[in-house]
Amino acid sequence: MRVNPNPYPDLLASLNQTQQEINTDEEQIATGLSVNSPSDDPTAAAVLVQNAGQTLQVDQYQRSIGSVQGEMQDANSALTSVTTALQQAITLGTEGANGTENAADLQAITVQVQGIQSQLLSLANLSYQGNYVFAGTATGTTPYVLDPTSNSVTYQGNTGTNKVTLGNDFTLQTNLPGSQVFSSGGTDMFKAVQDLITGLQSGDSTSIGTAVNELSSVSQAVDSQSVFYGNALNELNTQQTYLSSESTQLAQQQNTEGGADLPAAITNLTTAQTSLQATLEAIADTAHTDLFQYLH
Amino acid sequence: MGSLNASLATALSGLIADQGALAATTNNVANVNTPGYSREVPVLVASDPIVVEPLTFGTGVTLQNIESITDPVLESQIQQQTQAQSQYSALSSALQEAQVNFSTTTGDIGTSISNFFASINQLSTNPSDLSLRQDVLTAAGNLATSFNNTANNLSQQQGNLDLGVVQQVSQINQLSQQIAQLNGQIVNLQNLDQNAGTFVDQRQQAIDQLSSLVDVSVIPADNSLTLTTANGAPLVTGLQSFQLTTQTNSAGLHEIYSEGNNITSEITSGQLGGTLQARDQEIPALENQLDTLAAGIANSVNAVQTQGYDLNGNLATSENLFTPPPANTTGAAASLSVAMTNPAEIAASSDGTPGSNGNAEAMYALSTGSSIDGQSPTDYYSGIVFNVGNEASNASAEQTASAAVLQQLNDQLGSVSGVSLNEEAANMVQYQDAYQASAQVITTINDMMYAAIQMPTLTG
Repeated sequence: MRVNPNPYPDLLASLNQTQQEINTDEEQIATGLSVNSPSDDPTAAAVLVQNAGQTLQVDQYQRSIGSVQGEMQDANSALTSVTTALQQAITLGTEGANGTENAADLQAITVQVQGIQSQLLSLANLSYQGNYVFAGTATGTTPYVLDPTSNSVTYQGNTGTNKVTLGNDFTLQTNLPGSQVFSSGGTDMFKAVQDLITGLQSGDSTSIGTAVNELSSVSQAVDSQSVFYGNALNELNTQQTYLSSESTQLAQQQNTEGGADLPAAITNLTTAQTSLQATLEAIADTAHTDLFQYLH
Repeated sequence: MGSLNASLATALSGLIADQGALAATTNNVANVNTPGYSREVPVLVASDPIVVEPLTFGTGVTLQNIESITDPVLESQIQQQTQAQSQYSALSSALQEAQVNFSTTTGDIGTSISNFFASINQLSTNPSDLSLRQDVLTAAGNLATSFNNTANNLSQQQGNLDLGVVQQVSQINQLSQQIAQLNGQIVNLQNLDQNAGTFVDQRQQAIDQLSSLVDVSVIPADNSLTLTTANGAPLVTGLQSFQLTTQTNSAGLHEIYSEGNNITSEITSGQLGGTLQARDQEIPALENQLDTLAAGIANSVNAVQTQGYDLNGNLATSENLFTPPPANTTGAAASLSVAMTNPAEIAASSDGTPGSNGNAEAMYALSTGSSIDGQSPTDYYSGIVFNVGNEASNASAEQTASAAVLQQLNDQLGSVSGVSLNEEAANMVQYQDAYQASAQVITTINDMMYAAIQMPTLTG
């Protein structure tokens, strides 16, 4: 049976194919990726796009959590200080109500309570990165304003609350308006303090006693409201841990879908290079001799 | 009567025939590397005998013909496979180029989409912060740029493919003319009962080249061929060639005309078929998907933006973030741009207060919702990446497969028509030996004639 007398097209085609395999292996080794363009593995390429999107999303959630944590930690600290100050006011008030104080003592106690009122005002007007923390969503205006003539404090903020998305199907309320923190359940922190000051100034034990009771209710109310921040900070910690493991899983998925199997690529490369060598030698050795060279 | 003279003539016929056979061998050896050359075989036939009762004497050998050995069936198969291989080659290379736009890099569309929504999430934690607002505008700008760049690249690629179409039509026309000319030469020679083998080979080469450009149908007719495209548009009829022309359409792309008819959509094979498929189907499909995504993002973001309150407490009804894309979305990716320059206009607030992030949250929800044809923007984009990768991968696989088949067919044709130097050497030796033998016979006959002349005359 007659065969194609020209072997070169087949040999060259084989050479070309082997060279292509070498190129692919070298690219995989250099980039560490098995999917260097979508056509390498279209399904994996699509998964990798989604993986990249999710990875960036998780990164952002972690950053946002950091931002939110900062403000909430400050708020939490402030409320701890508020509780301490309220306890002090209660102690002072109790002392003033026991009827054993003289006018000068009462005056001294009054001054201290006035100091506490200032402190509470300052804490309630806490600001974080230029925003008032307890103003609801009216974060640009001072929430608690003291009228110097009547010595009463009014709330200028609103009742708005914000939620922030910090994970897939995870949103967290990030603030409590002052009206809720300091005036919940029929209590009113600043009124109670003002009442104590008025009582102390009048010297009337009964009204001082009433004011002290008001302050007790206020203290309890503020305590129970401030649990919000403690809980929220716990949730944020949990979410951070979860996001960390998400991040690890996403990195693993990226490697599984698109990472090169380096040992396999190196083995393939070696095999292909050997094959290339063999093909080149075959081409070189292909009979350069034919019958013409033997005739004379 | 077996006369010496008759024998001389017989031996001479051997010399002449062997000379002719050697000419065929020599031609084969000279053309061993000529592409498309079909080896020639001398057809030697015993000459008609004469009868001198009661004996029949042979009169030697005639070189009846020098025949080119080809296989028309194989050649036809090779043409078809060439068309397929060229089509897939053109398509594959166009798609390989297009898919570069969709590999994951820092500026690619997928990353830009993620970064844009990330900036909105960050804004949500502190909605009145001007620098976070500026970050959103910057990310929106980068998003627009990534769409613009990809759209421009695809548009440019389409333009290059269009240039390719014009070039290929010109090449087709040149080949048609060449084939018509060769038809003429072949017909002339065959009418004179001469071997037109060389011209037939050249014509076959030209047809093969034409097959690599366009889908060609070959209809043998007398001694010439009629060539049409697979759908019947005439290219060559006998000695006449028909030129294809091109005209630009409303999109600025060249369409192909034959005898006044637009045959652009009828060309489905060959390099031209592949180029047209890339230019008129694959690239526009990609552009449409990009436009849908760009317009979808712009419209959905604007819809949320304009229902909220900006930093000044005003309803943002007329404050679009992106320039509204065209209603039919055509060109949305190329023209996507950020309309807003003042970061205070971003409507993060849902109640008019500067600290409210309700509308920013609503805007962020677009990243995970189904605002683009029922999918989130990232999911839709991953679909585009899959499509272009899949098309490119398929075209590449088809090209490899058809190239392998083509190679095999060429091997088969080579086994039929290829010149084997060993064979030609063996033939040459045979003809040489025969020539020498016939020459020796002539020498011997000459001696015999001389001996006859030398015989003493009989005298009485």
